Amino acid sequence: MKVLLVGGGGREHAIAKAFSRSTYNPRIYCISELVNPGIFKIVKDSRGEYRRGDINNPEEVLNAAKDFGVDFVFIGPEEPNFHGVPDKLEENGIPCIGANKSVAELELSKASMRDLQWKYNIPGRLWYKKFRSIEEALPYLEEYAESIALKPARQVGGKGVKVIEDFQVYLQEDKKKIKKEHAKEIIENYMKGHDDVNYKLLIEERVWGPEYTVQCFTDGRTVLPTPAVQDNKHAFDGDLGPETGGMGSISCGLNIKWGINDERAILTEDEFYKSVEIIKSMIEAIQKETGKHYHGIVAGQMMYTPVWGPTIIEMYSRFGDPESVNVLSLLKTDLVEISEAIISEKLNTIKLEFEEKAVVVKCVSPEGYPEKRNLAKGHKVTVDKEREEILWASADLREDGSIVSGGSRLIECVGIGNTIPEASEKAEKLIEVVKLSDGWKLFHRKDIGTESLLSRRIELAKLAREIYLYREKKGLVGKRITWIPGKGLEEVG
Amino acid sequence: MAGILGIYLFDERWNAYRFGLFGLLALQHRGQEGYGLELLGKSRKRIIGKGSVEDTTISSTVEGHVCIGATLPYQLEGDNAQPIQLTEKVSVVLDGKIISIEGYDWDSSTSYEENLRKAFVKIEKERSSIEALRDYFSRCEGGFSYIAVNENMEMIAGRDAFGVKPLVLGKIGFEGGVVASESCAVDIIGERVPISPVEDIEPGEARIFTPLSTYTERVSEEPRRAYCSFEYVYLARPDSYINGIPIYKVRKNIGKKIAEEDNVDADVVIGVPETATPFAMAYSSVRGIPVEKGFELTGRRVRSAIKPNQFERLKGIQLKLNVISEVVRGKRVVLIDDSVVRGNTLANIIYLMKEKGAKEVHVRIGSPPIVSHCPFGVEVPPEDELIGRHLTEERIARVVGADSFKYLSLDSLVEAIGLPERKLCLGCFNGTYPKVCKR
Repeated sequence: MKVLLVGGGGREHAIAKAFSRSTYNPRIYCISELVNPGIFKIVKDSRGEYRRGDINNPEEVLNAAKDFGVDFVFIGPEEPNFHGVPDKLEENGIPCIGANKSVAELELSKASMRDLQWKYNIPGRLWYKKFRSIEEALPYLEEYAESIALKPARQVGGKGVKVIEDFQVYLQEDKKKIKKEHAKEIIENYMKGHDDVNYKLLIEERVWGPEYTVQCFTDGRTVLPTPAVQDNKHAFDGDLGPETGGMGSISCGLNIKWGINDERAILTEDEFYKSVEIIKSMIEAIQKETGKHYHGIVAGQMMYTPVWGPTIIEMYSRFGDPESVNVLSLLKTDLVEISEAIISEKLNTIKLEFEEKAVVVKCVSPEGYPEKRNLAKGHKVTVDKEREEILWASADLREDGSIVSGGSRLIECVGIGNTIPEASEKAEKLIEVVKLSDGWKLFHRKDIGTESLLSRRIELAKLAREIYLYREKKGLVGKRITWIPGKGLEEVG
Repeated sequence: MAGILGIYLFDERWNAYRFGLFGLLALQHRGQEGYGLELLGKSRKRIIGKGSVEDTTISSTVEGHVCIGATLPYQLEGDNAQPIQLTEKVSVVLDGKIISIEGYDWDSSTSYEENLRKAFVKIEKERSSIEALRDYFSRCEGGFSYIAVNENMEMIAGRDAFGVKPLVLGKIGFEGGVVASESCAVDIIGERVPISPVEDIEPGEARIFTPLSTYTERVSEEPRRAYCSFEYVYLARPDSYINGIPIYKVRKNIGKKIAEEDNVDADVVIGVPETATPFAMAYSSVRGIPVEKGFELTGRRVRSAIKPNQFERLKGIQLKLNVISEVVRGKRVVLIDDSVVRGNTLANIIYLMKEKGAKEVHVRIGSPPIVSHCPFGVEVPPEDELIGRHLTEERIARVVGADSFKYLSLDSLVEAIGLPERKLCLGCFNGTYPKVCKR
C-alpha cells in the first residue's frame, strides 16, 4: 500500500501521522514546496519518498504519483483542489481524496457559496453583496454605515478578511475611510492574479457568536462528521490583534465540552447535528449544480449566531489547520480504510470512532506573522528535543539538516487531557521546545483553552443561544426587518 | 486621580485621534479640569486641553494609529501636563501616585513630574526603551496605573503591585487594543459585546504592545491585593466593571445594606445625583418607600465633589441640584448620598430641601466616614477638614441640619463590594494602607 500526501503544513503532518498509525502500514510519500521535518521523518520511517515540488501544478503531482506508483493520493490544502489536481489524477486513473475543481467552488468562490446557499434556501445564510470592481463598491460603502465583513470574493489562503463594526456615528468617518481603503486593497492586492472567479469583493453582514468548525469526510453520498473544533483567529492573547489562519484550537466530544464528563459546552449536541445538516445540504446543492460527486473532505467554518443559530461563515474543501490536528489526533478508525471507502463510495460502511479526550492545539509563530510574513521567514530553528506531540507547520528542512522558518505558523503543540484546561496546560509545556537560533522572538497564545477564556466562550454561546431561541419562537430566524422612515418596511430573509 | 487611556491600532492606516477623544470623554468623570492626548504615527503630536474634552475642536491634521491620553482633576502646564514627557521620546499617563522609585533618591526640592523624569533618565541608560520602561515601572512603588509609549511605537500599560488603581484591557475587533481606567471607555469606542467587554490587567502585570505583537508580562511580584474601595463607592461610572465587578451591582448592594440597617419612617427616598441614584433605588425596593427624582440639573453635568475649590463645589451643587418642590413639600425624606467629606455641600442640599418644604430630612450615606487621606492621588482634603473624622453621627446631623444621619458600616461596605477585606484598600475609611515601600 502506497499513499501520496499533497502538502507540507501542520495539517498534513497530522494526516501523515494518522496514516502511519494504519494497520495497512502504508508507505507514505509526500510532495510539497517546503520540506516539513515531521512529515519527512514519517516518510523515511515508512520507506516512502519526499519530493519538493509545486503542488498546484497538476502535471507535477501526477508525475509524482506515477513515479511513486501510489494506490491513491490524499490532498491536504485547498489550492491544489482549485487548480484541478484531483481532476487530473482521476483522469489518469489515480484515485484521489480531494474535492474536484467544480465542487471545490464551495470554497474557491465565497460569492458562489452564498449564491448557492440562498438559491437552495439553506439555513445559516448571511446577507451579502458582491462586487466586480472598486467603482461598483465605493458608492455602496459611501452610503451605508453598517457593521460588515469585507472579504476577497475568492479564498486566498484565509487572508484579506476585515471585519469592521460600525455603529458609533462619532467614529463613522474613520471607519468609512478604512472600509474604502481595504476594499481597494482586496481588489488590487489580495485578488491580484486570481481570475478564476467572477467577483472580486464580497461584503457580508457582521455577526457575533462563538465560532466553530465542523469537518467531515464525504464520498458524495454519505457525510461523516468529526467532532466540532473551535479555532482562535486573533493573533494575540485576549482575542487581540489581526486575523490569522488560526493560533490554536480546542475540542472535546462532539460539541466542545469543558471536559469528557462535563455538562458545560460551547454547543449543544443538537446544534452540532444541525450544523452537519447544513453542510450536507451544501454538498447536495453543489453536486446538483455541477453533476459531480464530492470525494474528500468538506468543512463548515461556522458561527452560532443570534440571527440564525448555526451559521456558515465560510466553507472549506479540506481540513482546517489547526482544526484537523484536534480530530486526527483522536481518530481511532483507520485512515486508509476511510480513504478507500471514499474512493469506492462506500463511506456508509464506515463508523468513525474517536478517543474520548479533550485536545488543545497551540500554534507558535515567529513575530511578523500574520501581517509582515517576510520578517517571520528565514530564521534558523533549534529543537531542544523531538517530541511526538509537536507538529511541524511552516518550516523547511534543508539539505544540510537545518530547519528554517517559513513565515507562517512554525509548530503546532498538541495537548491531550480529560478537560480542555488540562489539555491546554499540557500544550503550554511544549511551547519552549523550539527556538529560533538568531534570537528572533516566537509568540503563541497562552490563553487558548484556559478556564477563563473557555468560560467566556461558553457564556457568549449561552447569550447567542438565548436570543436565537427567542427569535425562533417568534418566527424571526434569518429575518432582517427594518423600518425606513418615509419608505416603509423593508424585509430581508 | 485621573482617567487614563491607551489605544493601539495595528493597521497603520487607522487614525486613533477620534477614538482617543471619545475614549477620554468616557473617562471625563475621573477628571474634569483638563485632558491631554498624544498621537503617534508618521508624526507625533501632543494636545493639552482645559475643561471638557467635548469642547475640543477636532483638527483635521492630527493623526496616528497609537495614542495615550488622560483626563485630570487639576490643570498642569508644559512638560508636567499629562501625558508627562519623561524624555523627548517617552511619554506616560498616570492615574494615582508613585511614591518611591527603587534606586533613585527622591528630590523633594523639585516637582513630582520632574522626579519621575530624573528617575527615568537614571534607569534608562542604554537599553532599548521598552526594556527600560519595563524596568522603570517594576521599580516604582505606590498606587498607580500607567500607560507609556516610546518612539519605537511600543506601548506598555500596567498596574502597581497592589492593583490599587484600576486598568482594563479591551479591543477594537481585529483592529487593535484599548487599555483604560474603566471599561466604559471600551464600550464607547470598542467592540460592542454582550458580555463584559474587557478583562482586567492584573496587579503587577503589564500589557505590552509592539508593532509586531502584544503580550502580558509580570512586572512586579504581587504582595497582596489592595483594590481601592472608593472606586466602588464614588469614583467609577456605574456602567463600568472594576476588578471584574460591575459597579452598578455594588451600588445597588450598598443601597440594600443601608435599607437593612435602617428603620426610619419616611414618605420618599431621594438619591443625590448621579452617583447615589442606584443606592436610593435599591433602598426603596427593600423598604417599600417610593423613590423619586428630587432634583433637576441646570447647565452641564459636573462632578461637584472633585471640583478644586469650595466656590466651585457649591456652585456645582447649587446648579446641579435644584430641588423639585412637588417631591419634598410636606414629606419626610430619606436623602441618600455616596460620601461626606467636609459636610458643607450636604448642608447646602438639606437647606435647599427644607426651604422647599421638606418636613424631615434623614440622611443616609453609602460609605463609612472618611477619616484619612489618600496617599494614592485621590484628592482628599487635610484631615482637619474631614467632618467624619471629628464628629459623631448625631453631631453631624445637627451641623448639616438633618433630622437624622447615618453612615454605612465598614463591614457592610466590604460585603457590598463582595471581595474579602484583605483584598481592598480601605485607607480613607480606616487609616490602614497597603504597605507600599519594600524597605
